[in-house]
Amino acid sequence: MIGFAGLSHLGIVSSIAASSKSKEGVVAYDPDAALCGRLKAGDFPIFESGLAELLKAAGSRIEFTSDASRLKKCSLIYFSPDTPTDPENRPDFSTLHRLFDSVLAVLSGGCTLVVLSQVPPGLTRGLSETMKKKPNWAGQKIYHQVETLIFGNAVERALKPERFIVGCADPAAALDAPYEAFLKSFGCPVFKMRYESAELSKMSINACLVAALSVANSLAEICEKTLADWREIEPVLRADRRIGQYAYLSAGLGIAGGNIERDLVAIREMAREWGTDGSVIEAFLANSRHRKNWALKMINEQLTPAGPKTVIALWGLAYKADTRSTKNSPALALLQNLSPFSVRVYDPQATLDQKLFPQAVQAGSALEACRGANILAIMTPWKEFFSIPPAKIQEALASPAAVLDPFGVLDSAKCTKLGLKYFRLGVKSEGGGNL
Amino acid sequence: MIHHGHAVSQKPSRVVILGGTGFIGRNLAKNLEAAGVEVRTVSSAEVNLCEAGSSDILAGLVKKNDTLVMASAVTPDKGRDSRMQIKNFVMGQTLCDFLEKSSPAHVIYLSSDAVYDDALALANEASPSAPSSFYGVAHLGRERMLSDVLKKQGTPLLVLRLSILYGADDPHKSYGPNRFFRTAAAEQKITLFGNGEEKRDHVFVKDACRLITRCAERQSRGLLNVATGISVSFGDIALKVQTLFQGKVRIETTPRANPVTHRHYDIAALLETFPDFRFTPLETGLAETLKEIRQIS
Repeated sequence: MIGFAGLSHLGIVSSIAASSKSKEGVVAYDPDAALCGRLKAGDFPIFESGLAELLKAAGSRIEFTSDASRLKKCSLIYFSPDTPTDPENRPDFSTLHRLFDSVLAVLSGGCTLVVLSQVPPGLTRGLSETMKKKPNWAGQKIYHQVETLIFGNAVERALKPERFIVGCADPAAALDAPYEAFLKSFGCPVFKMRYESAELSKMSINACLVAALSVANSLAEICEKTLADWREIEPVLRADRRIGQYAYLSAGLGIAGGNIERDLVAIREMAREWGTDGSVIEAFLANSRHRKNWALKMINEQLTPAGPKTVIALWGLAYKADTRSTKNSPALALLQNLSPFSVRVYDPQATLDQKLFPQAVQAGSALEACRGANILAIMTPWKEFFSIPPAKIQEALASPAAVLDPFGVLDSAKCTKLGLKYFRLGVKSEGGGNL
Repeated sequence: MIHHGHAVSQKPSRVVILGGTGFIGRNLAKNLEAAGVEVRTVSSAEVNLCEAGSSDILAGLVKKNDTLVMASAVTPDKGRDSRMQIKNFVMGQTLCDFLEKSSPAHVIYLSSDAVYDDALALANEASPSAPSSFYGVAHLGRERMLSDVLKKQGTPLLVLRLSILYGADDPHKSYGPNRFFRTAAAEQKITLFGNGEEKRDHVFVKDACRLITRCAERQSRGLLNVATGISVSFGDIALKVQTLFQGKVRIETTPRANPVTHRHYDIAALLETFPDFRFTPLETGLAETLKEIRQIS
């Protein structure tokens, strides 16, 4: 059997995905009894496409429990708690340490441990030392497996990973049999390496993604000042084998979600500690802050003479489509700065915290949010927004009105033809000036 | 980034403006008075901050509940050397001597974007302060002096770093809209350095004063750049002035002595602080300036 300790977003998706691979089944443990109760009932605190169906298919092969002793049945146990961060995106690993100690105290050895939560270089080696000092655990092995969860696409990534990256005490030694058998069932390459290399490889992946994204954002901003269009340049870069078709080249509103920011901060802190050059990381963070305010700047430029009486429709609260996570979401950052205005919000999944944003109301539909609004800001590119005809939007909005569509959800030509002032990332607006 | 002491605007009981008869001081006094705020302007003739003993005179002028605006400085048109810097330091020290003994409710220091490196093309409040001129060093030094003394006193300090201001009654002769208006009227010509390629962020003085008034009303503290977020080249400004004079002004270019530098602002912090604040479009501000210049003359 396979065990999971810590039912974070990562833990929930990974444990349910594992249940489709393990004939013996999965024990999914979390000290939060209420959370386990919700999961047993199929009530997810997260949104991931396909997750409910996967859980249904797992049936009795997965057991959610708040009793750590149920993990005794497992020969392989993953640790997958969430790592909270402070407002400066600095991680706090105390949850992982507490969970690790409490689980090991209940069990009596005889199983392989895997740290699945993302950790900085050296942390798994530290846990290994801690483990060796505990009775019954001296001869056991602990690994670090790099998580490559992508919010919104987590189920597919968990079922069909491109590769596994495994940090080991001795990369030359074979993996423990139950662990090797489980990884083998996915039929993808396994990269074995030192603990620290594995731990740093996840940060390296994220830094590379941000590098591409920062380049895209920097050049898209130049496009906004010239007659170039970033959407015409993007495919050229994707066709270049040195860059690649899956590179993060779509212009966006900075970095959001929390995990990548956390990694950048971690790399910056390591560079500061070791005296290496971390200036490029500082530049990524500064560029992200700069681009996050694109919509705020546009709204200021487009304010009607009505000033504070301006009504703003905001589509999307989640930091990206197909998730209900709003961590570091550009939509929330924008909403925070719209206190003088009335705002009507719509998101297919995320819920508005009315206490934090008393000037905003949550509408029941995208078009309802638009009724009489002077400005529409589409902050998350949810699929359902793509199919809303611009004519319906124009009908619902006040006249004149502006549409801020950073990700190009709507047909810009149709919007302009309907008399809407249209703005998106990476291209100069044809309808500049004020409403 | 700045924070507000008052969640909603509250009229300050009184605002004392040091440098109250200067370009910004006069405009600020007008704006505050129009908002119904009691104002006490203090000129250098009344209190010369460069002179010893001035701090005692200030003690007799400034009350505990006052908002104190420091708008007084020796500007580069009166010298660009280290003597100008030292004079500004002395003025700052005099003010600090007063503030060590007395605590007004709120202090607003009008600083300058000269605290940034001249080569810095995109500035925000997080940009490093690395002044290229003695004037910039003077303002940065005074910011630090005030910050140090007011921190000890627990008095809220707001530092506003002003970009280039323009307006009808600007006595300075520095390069930009004010000089262009003056030479356009007197000599029917505007002389540009090179082709006037340098882009700068020009702020209408009345906008700057509206913003300072809002900061006084909210008892804001921290650091904020005062810029519009839109930079325009001197060449384009010359063309706009030429248009305002119905084309009866010629624009002359001169050989360039210095390399072209640009200065833009990311004004996200300002928008986050005052999301509904709007700057006057440059064309409108220039037209209004010319109208007022003609009324004055």
